[in-house]
Amino acid sequence: MSCVKTLGLFPVTVVGSWPRPTWLLKALRRKREGSISQEEFDAVADEAVLLAVKYQEDAGVDILSDGEQRRDNFYSFVADKIYGIELKTVAEIVDLVPDKSRFEFLLRSLDVPAYSIRSPVVTSKLRVGPRGIARDEASFLREHTSRLVKVPLPGPYLLTRSSWVPGVSDKYYQSREELGFEYARLLREEILALRDLGVFFVQLDEPVLTEVVYGVDQSQQTFMCAALFTRSNPRDELEFAVELVNEAVKGVSGIKTGVHVCRGNWSRREEALLKGDYVPLMPYLAEMKVDQLVLEFATPRAGDVEVLRDYIGDKELGYGVVNPRTDGVESPQEIMSRVDRILKFMDAKKVYLNPDCGFGTFAEAPVNTPRIAFRKLRSLRIAADELRRVYGER
Amino acid sequence: MGEILNGIDVEGLRNLLKEAERNPEAVAKLNRWSARVRWLGNGFTLRTYVRDHTFIVSEPQDVGGQDAGPNPVEYTLSALGACYAIGFIFNATKRGVRIRNLEIALEGEIDNILVFLGLSNQGYPGYKRVVAKAYIDAEADEETIKEIWEETVRTSPVGTTLERPVEIVPEVKVVR
Repeated sequence: MSCVKTLGLFPVTVVGSWPRPTWLLKALRRKREGSISQEEFDAVADEAVLLAVKYQEDAGVDILSDGEQRRDNFYSFVADKIYGIELKTVAEIVDLVPDKSRFEFLLRSLDVPAYSIRSPVVTSKLRVGPRGIARDEASFLREHTSRLVKVPLPGPYLLTRSSWVPGVSDKYYQSREELGFEYARLLREEILALRDLGVFFVQLDEPVLTEVVYGVDQSQQTFMCAALFTRSNPRDELEFAVELVNEAVKGVSGIKTGVHVCRGNWSRREEALLKGDYVPLMPYLAEMKVDQLVLEFATPRAGDVEVLRDYIGDKELGYGVVNPRTDGVESPQEIMSRVDRILKFMDAKKVYLNPDCGFGTFAEAPVNTPRIAFRKLRSLRIAADELRRVYGER
Repeated sequence: MGEILNGIDVEGLRNLLKEAERNPEAVAKLNRWSARVRWLGNGFTLRTYVRDHTFIVSEPQDVGGQDAGPNPVEYTLSALGACYAIGFIFNATKRGVRIRNLEIALEGEIDNILVFLGLSNQGYPGYKRVVAKAYIDAEADEETIKEIWEETVRTSPVGTTLERPVEIVPEVKVVR
């Protein structure tokens, strides 16, 4: 790809989401209530995307996203894009299933009412709608920036885990496995369509993989209600996730693929989020046939980068070096010293710089302001430029 | 399985008591209970969630409800009656007394319902008196049955909740 040459060392990128302006949140609510049309919503969201793009361009981001401005969060938006998925509240789901008591643990641990959590639930056979899963987002983004673009998509394991509700979904898919492979097929088609639209990088979000290994007491940690039905042992779940991701990227070329794994990004209270290093995940992440692993390392909850030494292999690293949830802006020197550590065992050409996660994973609960998010990206840019100077390539 | 009395495994009951004596964690679990009540979006009808169970709470039509189920003050009487009944079965079984029939009739009188309706400041809108009358037929003499009943009333979780001041911690959180 000709554009690769323009990237240089240490490309600066984002994980995906950007804090939504209040006027966009109002429009999101009105669309959800059905009081404005998709077209009316798009007109508002277009403006928000332009704002998110402008911030990223001004900060010096090399590969930017649309800030996920059109999405209510990083995965449940698929209910608007794929026929056969309905967004249901926990209040609705709990009335459909016999195992109601699990939900009470979830609601109490999150201190939220049942009506406030919406989760996509498979309620018939899946079929991608005319706007694609993210093709509409990608088209608009490509029209309005000359930079390389990245599109995050919910990963096949995340989608399967979050939307399979026994008693509802099993009327249309015989098993969770069958549903998983259907998602993988739909995602592969989407990735190829995004490639044809000129998208440079597609990232499959699989943050729940940490929940598989560290969220043993799911009542304390989960943020997706249907996941409560997944009680298989972690090894089986991780092997299933690898199979699905590999199926989703099978035969894909001409577009960079990545997998993002973090420990939750729905709260600024670090103690509310999962804690644990990548050790139990690395053998499985290493098996995923993607170009890049997008991993958080700025938060101490994610453990040490040394864990990558034996597993990163030929893969690139989307290196999380700033924490999206803090007010303090990491200095370029701090970022550079983090990069120095990784370069003890990684080729500089394989290291991309990004925040640990998005700045507004959930529309209504952004973890930072645009002002601070911009400053963090700016710090990344300055660090990247200095690193390029030090490591001798522009 | 050993002796079954009043439909209860007596040995199992004894083991449960032994476990409760020596395992404070198990007891702590029994000290905490929870429920969730959700408005169904229409009138005075609610659904309550308790563990894997649900039930409807409503109001009679003559107070503007859909009469889809008992109302909260009726549930309060029912909870008291059920608590007394379960307590009696527990205590009778513990003593080896076979129960043939058991019913508890309850009646409560609200001090002043106009306070709830916002039409008066006199008095309070809660029960001022509840009569709970047990009808019991069991294989024991009358004195033993009355002893079991007294023990049941004295140790009733719901009964003692209603009899004593209980700290209620009302909180509100606006979640749109």
